Amino acid sequence: MEQLTRRLQDSATARMAFNEVITLYSEPLYWQIRRMVQNHDDANDLLQNVFMKAWTNIESFRGDAKLTTWLYKIAINESLTFLEKERKRLGVSMDEEASMLANTIEADEWIDGDELKKELRKVIAALPEKQRLVFNMKYFDDMKYESISDILGTSVGALKASYHHAVNKIVKYFSEKS
Amino acid sequence: MKDDKIDILLAEMIGRKDGMTVPDGYFSDFAARMDSMLPDRVTENHPAVRTRWQMIRPYAYLAAMFAGIWCMLQMFHMIGGGAHGIMSPDTNPILAEAISDDTFMDDYYCMDVDELDFIDDLYASGLDVTNL
Repeated sequence: MEQLTRRLQDSATARMAFNEVITLYSEPLYWQIRRMVQNHDDANDLLQNVFMKAWTNIESFRGDAKLTTWLYKIAINESLTFLEKERKRLGVSMDEEASMLANTIEADEWIDGDELKKELRKVIAALPEKQRLVFNMKYFDDMKYESISDILGTSVGALKASYHHAVNKIVKYFSEKS
Repeated sequence: MKDDKIDILLAEMIGRKDGMTVPDGYFSDFAARMDSMLPDRVTENHPAVRTRWQMIRPYAYLAAMFAGIWCMLQMFHMIGGGAHGIMSPDTNPILAEAISDDTFMDDYYCMDVDELDFIDDLYASGLDVTNL
């Protein structure tokens, strides 16, 4: 990884190294974005924006932080900015974001057709943004709290609390349903 | 319930997949598509072209500094120095007149006031200094 970072900082090798970065991180970043915005086309556009921003600002990446942390930060920032723009465009408040995302989930054509999964996505979409981010990273990506802490700039204790609340809400929902 | 247990319970209830999919070959094609979209990096090193101002700037600053020092010295000289300064009674008639006026000098300039004389004056005028 250090070698990749060094190659990114050298203008002669940066382009090739960046292609490796795209190959390595496009999938995890895509899922992170997709779980926030729900729609494939939007996630695809945002993923492209993430790499475009990373490439144009590669000189500002000095290797102090981990490359993954830096990329995840850009991806999350892009996702949250997109959701904010969508809320403004549709005249939807923060509280109504869940129903906005539920509509997106219903209209999404890139799903495996399982109703339970669709419902799970809607329940996760109803969580507050921070809890949703933490839940996605921990539950689906199995990331360590320390890594999530670096990305979100939140203490490990607060992340554990967020995750605990999120899991409880989801378990409660499905327990009551069954 | 502990986080690990509740996590396992949730995994048993709903699994670890959220049912989202992508078009076939999406990730394998993505890197190539992204590469074609990336702009070339501006890497050429422009030779440093110095403008005329940039070339003369250090000398201009040096000259300004000396001019400032010269002005300062002139001002000091004008105020207090030498027989031709503005504070010299030889060249300043107002100052010469003021110096020749004993009352003015007593009132405003002479500082040789004896404290005991001053207290005597106060007693004489009926003022008790112990109350001050």
